[in-house]
Amino acid sequence: MADEPLKLYASVNEQGSQYKWGMVVDSDRCTGCQACVVACQAENNIPINDENRYVEHRQKEWIRIERYWEGEFPNVKARFLPVMCQHCNNAPCEPVCPVYAIYHSSDGLNVQVYNRCVGTRYCGNNCPYLVRFFNFWDPEWPEPLTAQLNPDVTVRTRGLIEKCTMCVHRIQRAKRESSKDGRKISDGDLSPACVQACPTNALVFGDWNDSNSRINQLAKDQRGYRILDNLGTEPAVVYLKRVDPNLAETKGGGH
Amino acid sequence: MKLRLALVVVPAILLAGFIFFIFTAVPALIASQPYNPSAQPIHFDHEVHVKTVGIECTFCHRTATQGITAGYPDLQQCMFCHAVVNETLASNQHNADEILKVRQKWAAQEAINWVRIHRLPDHVGFVHEPHLRAGFQCATCHGDVGSMGQVKQVRALNMGDCLDCHKGNNPLKLTGPTECATCHK
Repeated sequence: MADEPLKLYASVNEQGSQYKWGMVVDSDRCTGCQACVVACQAENNIPINDENRYVEHRQKEWIRIERYWEGEFPNVKARFLPVMCQHCNNAPCEPVCPVYAIYHSSDGLNVQVYNRCVGTRYCGNNCPYLVRFFNFWDPEWPEPLTAQLNPDVTVRTRGLIEKCTMCVHRIQRAKRESSKDGRKISDGDLSPACVQACPTNALVFGDWNDSNSRINQLAKDQRGYRILDNLGTEPAVVYLKRVDPNLAETKGGGH
Repeated sequence: MKLRLALVVVPAILLAGFIFFIFTAVPALIASQPYNPSAQPIHFDHEVHVKTVGIECTFCHRTATQGITAGYPDLQQCMFCHAVVNETLASNQHNADEILKVRQKWAAQEAINWVRIHRLPDHVGFVHEPHLRAGFQCATCHGDVGSMGQVKQVRALNMGDCLDCHKGNNPLKLTGPTECATCHK
């Protein structure tokens, strides 16, 4: 038993679901264009972040692009890292919720139940990836944009936490469509809004349980790593990044 | 003396009012009250259409079998029949008046603002299609609309009601998924 790492949740296969959703992000392909960010804002009814929101650090971006400088001038490169909810199998946000507003679905998703959330923000404080966002205000859109809200996604009101769902409404839709034909969801049947928008295919979505899925093939790459893996959160998102030996190691943060 | 009396009486009244509120108003607010609007813009009679004429539910609510919502019929769809079935063919004066209203709306190309009866909260994503595919009848949730005349909500349609069915307490003895993300969005 001593060799077994301590686990809060049974692994997804033990729960009997056929899927375990996840993503592979190839940061060598990412150009930092932010198409995924815009697609996510539009898909998930996220209000517009104006300058004040960023100054206050109260902006809501379910997926964001982090920029790092790699190397020292003049031999320097900008690296981009799209960061969304990692849907950890060992999620730090889940056990701290006093009202059980977060649960781990049998598909391996970390699901926020908005109508249970009372906004204690414990989960947001406990998330090492900073991907949980508190609604400090009721969302507002300028007039014509209210007509483009996605009816599949609820509009979150003031006082609750929200985060990336890996487009769970698209997953539910794909499940309905595939069950009509009595088959499993196959690789490539669906993609979240960010994956769909990515022009360089840096983001790939799929099922970890399907050994032939594209993400499983890509994750075999030796460039693969998980961000903040040392925390033991077991993220469902794998990043790929080539270590460039020609670049001198950056001194300091470089963020 | 008067002040002391007031000090007793006023809190007593407030306390009584509070207790009254707790025991009457709060349960009334919590209990899902089936919503019965006083009147629709047009006195559409489901009984005539379903029982007398024999139209299937899905002939008018045509997205129920494929989509998320059952859908209101377009005014154009009313005119499938009412272009021919005009006010002179109505069985009584009341029906003739209502048919005339529909035809006038069509002539003016104005939509009818029906009062919605079955409305779920924004954070609930109920989808008709899988329920009908599983073999449930419209009447399982909506009651016998065909003999209602003016439609009323007959079931609470709150989360307890949904879960009750999803755990197998339904006419077909089927169980449905009970994960939050299945319905909550």
